[in-house]
Amino acid sequence: MPPTIEYHCPCLSQSTIPPPPHLASSSHSFHPLHTLFFCEECDAVRCNRCVSVEVSGYYCPNCLFEVPSASVRAEKNRCARNCFMCPNCRNTLSVVPSDPPDSGDGRIAMPIGAIGDTQYLLYCNHCRWDSAEVGITFEKPTGLAAQLQKFEDSAPDSLEFERLKEHFEPIIQRASSLSSSTAANAPAPSSAAHSHRARTNSITAAASAALARDIPGVGKYNPLARSGRGGGAGKDKDRSTNKDEMPEYRSRVDSASASKLGTGGGELDVEYMRHLEDVSEVANLEQRWITSWATSLQTADLKPLRIPLHSKRSKRCPACAHILIKPEQKAQSVRYKIKLVASNYLPAITAALPHQQDANTESAKRTLSKSTAAAADEDRGAAGGIHAGKTYPFQLALTNPLYDPIQVRLTVQRVHAPASSSSGRASPEKARRPPFAVSLPSTSFSIAAFAEAWEYDLDDEDDLDEMFGLDDDDFGVAGRISGREPKEARSKTKVVGVLEKKANTTIVGGEIVIGKEARGNVKFNMLVSYTYRSDDAAPSESNDEGATSKAAVARPPETKTFAFYTAVDLGPIIPREEPLRIDTDF
Amino acid sequence: MDPPIFYSKTEYIETDTGNKVSRRATIAGPQNIILGGKTIISSGAIIRGDLRRTGAGHAVVISLGRYCVVGEGCVMRPPYKTYRGNFNYYPMKIGDHVHIGANTVVEAATIGSHVEIGKNCVIGKFTIIKDCARVADGTIVPPNTVIPALALFAGSPGRFVEDLPESTQETVEAYTKRHYTRFQPLDR
Repeated sequence: MPPTIEYHCPCLSQSTIPPPPHLASSSHSFHPLHTLFFCEECDAVRCNRCVSVEVSGYYCPNCLFEVPSASVRAEKNRCARNCFMCPNCRNTLSVVPSDPPDSGDGRIAMPIGAIGDTQYLLYCNHCRWDSAEVGITFEKPTGLAAQLQKFEDSAPDSLEFERLKEHFEPIIQRASSLSSSTAANAPAPSSAAHSHRARTNSITAAASAALARDIPGVGKYNPLARSGRGGGAGKDKDRSTNKDEMPEYRSRVDSASASKLGTGGGELDVEYMRHLEDVSEVANLEQRWITSWATSLQTADLKPLRIPLHSKRSKRCPACAHILIKPEQKAQSVRYKIKLVASNYLPAITAALPHQQDANTESAKRTLSKSTAAAADEDRGAAGGIHAGKTYPFQLALTNPLYDPIQVRLTVQRVHAPASSSSGRASPEKARRPPFAVSLPSTSFSIAAFAEAWEYDLDDEDDLDEMFGLDDDDFGVAGRISGREPKEARSKTKVVGVLEKKANTTIVGGEIVIGKEARGNVKFNMLVSYTYRSDDAAPSESNDEGATSKAAVARPPETKTFAFYTAVDLGPIIPREEPLRIDTDF
Repeated sequence: MDPPIFYSKTEYIETDTGNKVSRRATIAGPQNIILGGKTIISSGAIIRGDLRRTGAGHAVVISLGRYCVVGEGCVMRPPYKTYRGNFNYYPMKIGDHVHIGANTVVEAATIGSHVEIGKNCVIGKFTIIKDCARVADGTIVPPNTVIPALALFAGSPGRFVEDLPESTQETVEAYTKRHYTRFQPLDR
């Protein structure tokens, strides 16, 4: 596995310092860069766990119809057209005429265009289930949902649900009238979002009030307090005054008699199981558990399922409620009106172990000359591994997404002794210090600005080196005299420091010293802080890089610094017990 | 920093637009196949451009966009059906930045741009895959399935697993471009 780098989102804890990398909580706090967002207002990284999500549109994942939100509720979040799922394997069903013409190869022909007074049925292309098995046929191949509607409406679960809705309707109405009066005071970014939130708030408030009443201890937790809006505490009082006014609910079917209907075990089911001939006659748990009602055990009773709708979502910053993601209205468009993703703000970092890459390349070349593909994978693990008790160089490539050059400083987070001993798996002797030491360039280095023109001719490396590699910043490496010289010398001497600058990417080298008794992964937290010119500064010519960086140095007050944590995982250490192989590269 | 992916120089033919086609790939009916440029057809791939619509005239059977990769041992075959009693093949259209893993069989009708299909998959007839979708390794997508944009499909039959991140388009585009530049000839 290649080395990975993940970025920290501090939403899980109060402190901005991430947990040590060997703790299990570490993997929950770090995310791949492309999944993160960036709030410009708060100047902070946001992840999918902390953003607040709003639905901006519904669509059916099969027919891709955009369902207006008014009908979403009426159709119980399902597609109301011709889309059905196979109850057996969850594939989408197609409509076929009941006597399908044989197309010569034993497959069912497409349904379109078959005319006549034949009956139609739903057919699964994957498991060959068809709706005739459960006695469902259609007179015409369109509007199937409407034709099925009457069966669905008379099902005991939907009748019960209607009854429940009726029962709770007055309470929800009362709650919404109450909360809309309180919510009117709260600031709202837009009127549409406001009305939507007011409704959901009232329902969740009613639900949480009901929970708080029924389960002791739950009342202490208030989900609305976390988001900082809605004023949940005040509403709880209102709810407590009318909590006893709810009349008792009586279900349509007595639960004691349910088993007689063949839904909850009992004599009928036992009798059925006795005469079972094939295991597949019994519907498995996965086939049954999505129904809200206890259903029959038999596969023969499974009904086609309507396809649940999917939604497009917009995302907001949890702290300042600014929009981070706002998709285009069209359901299948992959463009966004607003898209503030972290990869446009933070430098992208990739890690590599040169000895691993060399090994891979060598084995690839060898495979190619032998023209056999099998041997490559075996060699890879042996030569590219990290062995205990050895020293390895590693490289970090940092790519600047900003249109201005940045100054970057890397710091390895020290693992505190008490934290590592609490992990419990290492012996006390090993727990005192991490099993490996990491050295990185200590001084800051520069990364050139991103310019779209570089997308094109990157192959002329020497030209670019002359243009962008020679700005004489401090590199944190002794012995670098000119930009050109270390290029030849670096393979022998230079390991730690800036290795290469190319367009808006700078490669820095580091070194890991693995302890003799080391185990587990080489994984450490790294603080990346970078200084950039703030937006207020005058725009610069991106094609004249030398002048820009000098200008930035001349006007220091216009810079800003942003810091974030990353977790670098260079891969597992191969423990000492295994026979050591001599690595020819070092 | 990414190491190059080497291929034997004698094995691949490079076209003016940067397409790299293996001599070990079976390209049937090349006059009916369009490659957008910088597209790689790996060795052992089978592309059936000969399965064209009946009728006179020129017909495009399979079109691939830019920066696509057809993996080793892939089979690309246009979908067919009998419509009003006539058996016919239908064209297959594939967008830009589409990677198809090794040993996958594709009979899709349409594949959008920025789509990643894993290895050892079966993409059934007339499947429609929208932009930025991903099909995990070893997925069986039954015929007539629709895979919506930014969805990850996996399993047998292929089912929706999760929504992909909003930056998928940029990620896939960068990856496919990098893959093309990494794909380097090696002289022996």
